[in-house]
Amino acid sequence: MANNKILVIGAGPGGLEAARGIADLGYQVIIAEKRDRLGGTPDESSYAALTPDLRSAEEAIQDMIAPVENNPDVEIMFNTLVTGAEGELGNFKVKAMQLGKEVVIEAGAVIVCTGFQHFDPGRETQKYGYYEHDDVITLVDCEKMLKAHNFVRPSNGEKPKRVCFIQCVGSRDRQIGNEYCSKVCCGVASKEAIEIRQQVPDCKVYIFYIDMRMYGYWENEIYWPAQEKYKVNYVKGIATEIVKKGDKLLVKGEDTTLRRPMEVEMDMVILSVGMEPSSGTKDMARIFGLNQNKYGFIETTGGPMNTVATNVPGVFAAGACTGPADLEDTISSAGSAAMKAIAAVRKNALVS
Amino acid sequence: MGLDLSYNKYSSVSLEEKERLFEEVKSDMRYQDHALYGCYECGICVAACPSARFYDFSPRVIAQAAAREDADLMYTLMNDSVWDCSQCFSCDRCPRHNSPGTLITIMREVAVRNGLQTARKALEGYGRIIYKIMSTGTQVSPDMLQPNAFPDWGGHVGDIAENLDVWRRALPPETMHTTETSWYVSEKTLIELYLIWHMTGVMDMIKEVDEGLFDILVDVMEERLEEAGYDDVTF
Repeated sequence: MANNKILVIGAGPGGLEAARGIADLGYQVIIAEKRDRLGGTPDESSYAALTPDLRSAEEAIQDMIAPVENNPDVEIMFNTLVTGAEGELGNFKVKAMQLGKEVVIEAGAVIVCTGFQHFDPGRETQKYGYYEHDDVITLVDCEKMLKAHNFVRPSNGEKPKRVCFIQCVGSRDRQIGNEYCSKVCCGVASKEAIEIRQQVPDCKVYIFYIDMRMYGYWENEIYWPAQEKYKVNYVKGIATEIVKKGDKLLVKGEDTTLRRPMEVEMDMVILSVGMEPSSGTKDMARIFGLNQNKYGFIETTGGPMNTVATNVPGVFAAGACTGPADLEDTISSAGSAAMKAIAAVRKNALVS
Repeated sequence: MGLDLSYNKYSSVSLEEKERLFEEVKSDMRYQDHALYGCYECGICVAACPSARFYDFSPRVIAQAAAREDADLMYTLMNDSVWDCSQCFSCDRCPRHNSPGTLITIMREVAVRNGLQTARKALEGYGRIIYKIMSTGTQVSPDMLQPNAFPDWGGHVGDIAENLDVWRRALPPETMHTTETSWYVSEKTLIELYLIWHMTGVMDMIKEVDEGLFDILVDVMEERLEEAGYDDVTF
């Protein structure tokens, strides 16, 4: 008999939303999560406030967790790493390691929600010296400091007077191989810039960018307030190099619109690192035989009209495992995947 | 000559002084009433700007210097750039609703109030016009129309200049039967104008940029004000 249960792999915002949707529609769902907690990257990386509404990430994720926890239609498997899969739509047998023991999960359809990982700036081709200079940090490091309300220079623990963000680190770069725009970093950097100005009002904040990509409402929800109310200083031009000068960092670039060279001293530099497929995403693609694009993200097959179907019938993908995605994208595609996964098992049950 | 935007171009002026002048610009009520939101640096203002076609002048650079709160660059622009603007406000078509023209108005006033050398130099050529406006209340007068002054206007200028009084009396509105002013300005209007120049600080500004012109104006104004009973007004 065909199995109507749906397996969701990964319990970040996408996985939680897919699971909630499936349960709300009256179907059974299993969440397989490799960590011992729900919440995914926003939880694991200690996000402070969400983009674009600056709502507390902890609170928002808790609101997503509540409907799936203690829900009789949702079975949550923690510490569970998917290692193999066989079968087909209506009858998948998914192997996983759970605390050293192999388990087999039976499901009619699968939704992969294994997300992204932050770009490792050790791989950038410029000379930003992330692993060399204490005061060069990433958006992710900055997020942790803002959450702790302790935005200080790592080198000496003092409050900074001048900081800058460098955009597109690990994105839009043919030399690195990540030609895509990571989509969220302009918004996240501007959001963090606002938070820095709120927490350290004496600190001047610069954002060096190629293009500011603040689509839709992000424009006047983040970009305009950052510039107009919080006086964040946007300069079109990317730094090529960061060198140490005394106890400061000298950032070298071009102020393109003023056509002048730029050599400015900063107390801290924040690298706006983009998204890459997580190791879990690459593993799931291999295990389920899903097509990947040249960047390693799972390739969906429907173009803009179907953002969750994969080349394997009964296996769907949602959120940032399919490419750079913000929370709106992730939540929307998770809902779409829930609907399509249910439709798939339901139709399959009718014909078999 | 291109506009030089190098860092610290006016190195003899301290950053504190540049910041003080920028604060004076920012404290102007027109600045606070949305002359500036934030700048996209998109250049639509430059595309619309007639002065930008003739000079190395950019309302965008004015707006972006202000948006970036770059006191050093603002000082350079206050000296080297603001006088190239024709104050037509075509730049008001900004998608962010900035008004670079208004920023320039304010920057010019701050430059004049603080007696910047470049402001004096920029205004040097306008002494005669300022004298005319401030003493008579009108800008150009018919008696300025002399054959020698405007040869490109043709030979008939001489004929007109010769019988200027007659020509002017041929004009229908009686208020234009004048030769020393463009139109008749009543004594009452003049007194009010003099008091406005005085009370709003315009005379102080003139004193700051052109003391000679100031002295001549004071002579003219004090005499007329005294006759009208305002003998307590001192400049």
